[in-house]
Amino acid sequence: MPYTDEIQAKARELLSRGQTACVIGYEAGPRGRVRPAFIYSPDDAGRLVWNRGCTHNLTTYLCQKLRPHGHNGSKPGRVAIVVKPCDSRAINVLLAENQFSRDQVYIIGVTCDGIVEGAGFKSITEGPLQKRCQQCSEHVPVIYDVLIGQPAPSGKTSGEDKDLARLEAMSPVERAEFWLSQFDRCIRCYACRQACPMCNCPTCLYERDDSLWVGAGIRVDEKRTFHLGRAYHLAGRCVGCDECERVCPMQIPIGLLNRKLAKEMQTMFGFRAGVAPVPSPITTILNGEGS
Amino acid sequence: MDVITSGALASWLDRLAAESTLIAPRSVEGVLLYRPVTSSADIARDFTRPVLSIKEFFFPATERLLTIEKTGQTITLQQTLPEGKQVIFGVRPCDARGMKVMDALFIETSPADTYYASRRENTTLIGLACKEMGESCFCTSIGGTPDDHRDMDIMLTEVEGGYAVQAVTSKGKALLEGVPLQERPGHLPKQVITASFPFPETAYWPLRFNDAYWEQMSERCLSCRICAYVCPTCRCFDIRDEPLAVGKDQYERIRCWDSCAGEAYRRIAGGHNPRAAKGQRLRNRFFCKFYYYPQQYGPLACTGCGRCVDACPVNIDITEVMSHLAEVEA
Amino acid sequence: MYEPKIIAFLCTWCSYTGADLAGTSRLKTPWNVRAVRVPCSGRVSPELVMRAFDQGADGVLVLGCHIGECHYDSGNHRTAKRIPVLHSLMTFAGLEPERLRLDWVSASEGDRFARIVNEFTEAVRALGPSQWRHVNSLPSVELPNTAPQEVKEAGVGG
Repeated sequence: MPYTDEIQAKARELLSRGQTACVIGYEAGPRGRVRPAFIYSPDDAGRLVWNRGCTHNLTTYLCQKLRPHGHNGSKPGRVAIVVKPCDSRAINVLLAENQFSRDQVYIIGVTCDGIVEGAGFKSITEGPLQKRCQQCSEHVPVIYDVLIGQPAPSGKTSGEDKDLARLEAMSPVERAEFWLSQFDRCIRCYACRQACPMCNCPTCLYERDDSLWVGAGIRVDEKRTFHLGRAYHLAGRCVGCDECERVCPMQIPIGLLNRKLAKEMQTMFGFRAGVAPVPSPITTILNGEGS
Repeated sequence: MDVITSGALASWLDRLAAESTLIAPRSVEGVLLYRPVTSSADIARDFTRPVLSIKEFFFPATERLLTIEKTGQTITLQQTLPEGKQVIFGVRPCDARGMKVMDALFIETSPADTYYASRRENTTLIGLACKEMGESCFCTSIGGTPDDHRDMDIMLTEVEGGYAVQAVTSKGKALLEGVPLQERPGHLPKQVITASFPFPETAYWPLRFNDAYWEQMSERCLSCRICAYVCPTCRCFDIRDEPLAVGKDQYERIRCWDSCAGEAYRRIAGGHNPRAAKGQRLRNRFFCKFYYYPQQYGPLACTGCGRCVDACPVNIDITEVMSHLAEVEA
Repeated sequence: MYEPKIIAFLCTWCSYTGADLAGTSRLKTPWNVRAVRVPCSGRVSPELVMRAFDQGADGVLVLGCHIGECHYDSGNHRTAKRIPVLHSLMTFAGLEPERLRLDWVSASEGDRFARIVNEFTEAVRALGPSQWRHVNSLPSVELPNTAPQEVKEAGVGG
């Protein structure tokens, strides 16, 4: 793929000129599976790839990478990052929340035609697209320092979210049963939370040592509260990358919770996360509102 | 060799399901898991291995150890030891090996864990030999084989029209009483074995403790807990006392799974965290499996099942780590 | 006989005072409502509401000052935005929509307070006990346990 060469060239340039200390991108492991790569030397830039298996939202590494290090709070090196359109919106959300400053990150935006089902877990670059990609009409990242690919409209139309519609059509009792049967097999591994760029609380509310809001047990009530609470905390912040759903070892469709709230954000506040570096409507008071 | 026909196996499993708790690989919304089944028809066919190991039936994800009740000046503690027989069918050799590895800690090291020991006592393992090794399997690198019967109570190996049956332990023999078996000439079929990974000795690991490699290979780690939770031998847990009933002075002491990969795992009172860096945590994970556990308890805390390889969202691969260390050693 | 357990989060400056007024005016309000006083309705976070349901509440009522009257200026603006989002999420997860209600009561509206809690209690009563909580249920793989055996009884100073 030509994008691979462009990304490698860019990475080589940035690193050899000292413009960034690190490039976060994608590489293919020995089993052929695509995985995140951290490139520190221009000689290693050849490891970087771009294909339809590049599913990970790499912005999840930014907060840790860019916060001040050590006891004297020394400023960390600038980081370049490869982002798809959905990932780029995550950067806007993180900027709006002052997780890091714009000058700390060099954004290599890549135009995207969708990522394939099974990416990240299998050595695969062809095949049917992931569900989130089937429903997506974005082709170009919303924020970038350099764009790999042509900034043309994708021509894709947003697919209908059939799973969401099916759930909304159920009665409360049916929905309660559905979610209980889904959360039953959750093992509370927290992979969903860890994969999410916006879940960056130093100590998760639901993992407090005093079990204040939810017990420590891996039991259905606790698991449900964790997932609902997390979804709520992501309202207006989740960009719909669906990595939480992909990483789940039990294939629980938790993306449905996030998509439901994204729909509510749109209906209630006309808001979509990450289109601009503006915080979620329910986080705080927006300028212009007042008593 | 003794052979049971497929039909006779199905009837026997149906009987076991009616008499006790029968656990077998079953598809739950597209995810293959060991789960209780009510009929042999529910059991999955043609699988490599379920996503989780059988350890949750001996060391549950959440287990109540005690209830504590305070009434006036009296405090009452109640213990509920698990009883009830269970039979697990379709156990792969790597999973059974995992139980032996955990036995070294939970039973053979004093004091024995009464909860674990009780479940172990009440459970019969019916193994199923793998016809071939999965893509991520590497049991042969860790001293196992896909048809290893050593850690089972009963071992089944697929043959024409049914399964060859080996009664490995007296518990297995007892469960087989009354089960129709045919005598058939011949030997057990040999399994297809893929090449194994080179494997550094236990004593070699400490020499690599300070390598920069650990920090490098762990950068993409998400610090979730998938690898520990799917693993047949990972056994760290957290214990908490939590309120049991609203409005009463009733509490329960529960034990639940935990993982050293989590950022907060090693954080101590006062806030200091000796494993604040991901490299330290992942290094600990691999050292625990290949150095600390064998040093303290005997067996390697890895059975080569490959679940962690399949499940890791960012492709942290234990076989890559093993190969890298073996390379450097050479 | 089922009696609904209602948790009401009342803000110090308006709704709690309104509840007080209802009391001193001898207005009839159901005893099912257990009041939890918060400084401002904006303090009512999703964790509080979910914890209430997890612990067995049949209904949760959040009452704040009328918009424009918040003691902290815009605290109730946040409530007005957040509770509907939480409501939509919890009903999506299977809670009956009538079990969570947000409303506005000022310090002088004792009668309004009485009317709202009466309405809400009856609405929740009609739904029956909440099925939200699964009292320390363990995952479906759990073995059947025997009845608890008393292991130890220790007398300890209170």
